[in-house]
Amino acid sequence: MTSRLLMTLQVDVPPPQKLGAVPHGSRVIAPIAGGTFEGPRLRGKVLPGGGDWTLLRPDGVLELDLRITLETDDGASIYMTSFGLRHGPPEVLAALARGQTVDPSTYYFRTAPRFETSAPQYAFLNRLIAVSRGDRRPSGPNYTIEEIL
Amino acid sequence: MGVHRRDVLKAAAASVVVGAASALTGCVDGGAAEIRLPLAEREREDAMNSRPLMTVRIAAAPPQQLGAVPHGIRTIVPVTGGDFEGPRLRGRILPGGGDWLLLRSDGVLELDLRITLETDDRALIDMRFQGLRHGPPDAIAALGRGEVVDPATYYFRTLPRFETSAERYAFLNRIISVGVGETRPDGAVHRIDEIL
Repeated sequence: MTSRLLMTLQVDVPPPQKLGAVPHGSRVIAPIAGGTFEGPRLRGKVLPGGGDWTLLRPDGVLELDLRITLETDDGASIYMTSFGLRHGPPEVLAALARGQTVDPSTYYFRTAPRFETSAPQYAFLNRLIAVSRGDRRPSGPNYTIEEIL
Repeated sequence: MGVHRRDVLKAAAASVVVGAASALTGCVDGGAAEIRLPLAEREREDAMNSRPLMTVRIAAAPPQQLGAVPHGIRTIVPVTGGDFEGPRLRGRILPGGGDWLLLRSDGVLELDLRITLETDDRALIDMRFQGLRHGPPDAIAALGRGEVVDPATYYFRTLPRFETSAERYAFLNRIISVGVGETRPDGAVHRIDEIL
């Protein structure tokens, strides 16, 4: 299996909405205020208005369910969804929860983004499978997204 | 990704200027050379790794052709059985699942598979994936005629997810994985890698 860099994505997360215990776990909704993305074939900004509907499962794994809209520097709109998982040693997750900077190699944070666009110059995004490695920084997550070739 | 990917990287590094190669390996003495490397090459040094999870072979019944539906052309493929094998698990596929295929208007086939795996030590695993298959018209047409086609000639990739209550396989609940698919006349074969 081979892959190549698609883009790096950084999103800004304002204070999350903590919904507490729901039937499937503990729900926290993180609105997305903005962000940027850049890669060899596309770059631009994240529009405000999306969010990440996270669910902390009873087995300690955080499920991520992100929906955002990307706007490229040439004016195309791209709908991005991403399912992901985050888990790690309790002390690492506690440090993340306190908003500290943590070495991302100390925990597992991987996602599988999907894309939709009507822009012909970015139609290749409709046809690819991708995975990403996440890094939860105090200001919000950074993702290194790779296209599976 | 994984070992194969890094071997390719090493070859690529060896073929560029010496300073760029040291930039790839993380040395900081080649600042000027690092600038000569495109972003994609520099990013690859710390790229994701993967390792084989299992190979899944799916036996299918004749497809149910539902024809044109609002989102494309729907074909449902019942799964009659099969097997799976990897370093950490192996067993058989129970009959009863299926793949709810949708041929989109842009020519891409979307997969939506749900099957149940039974390991050789009797654990049950729910496996689901979404995937994409597309390629040159002649390759796709040959697949449609049930011919054997080199899987390198088309794109067939999936994102499997797993659910199990068996403690010894609970690692499956916690991983992101990617499958490379191959359509064969008697079914499909998926080589699935865990993303590390």
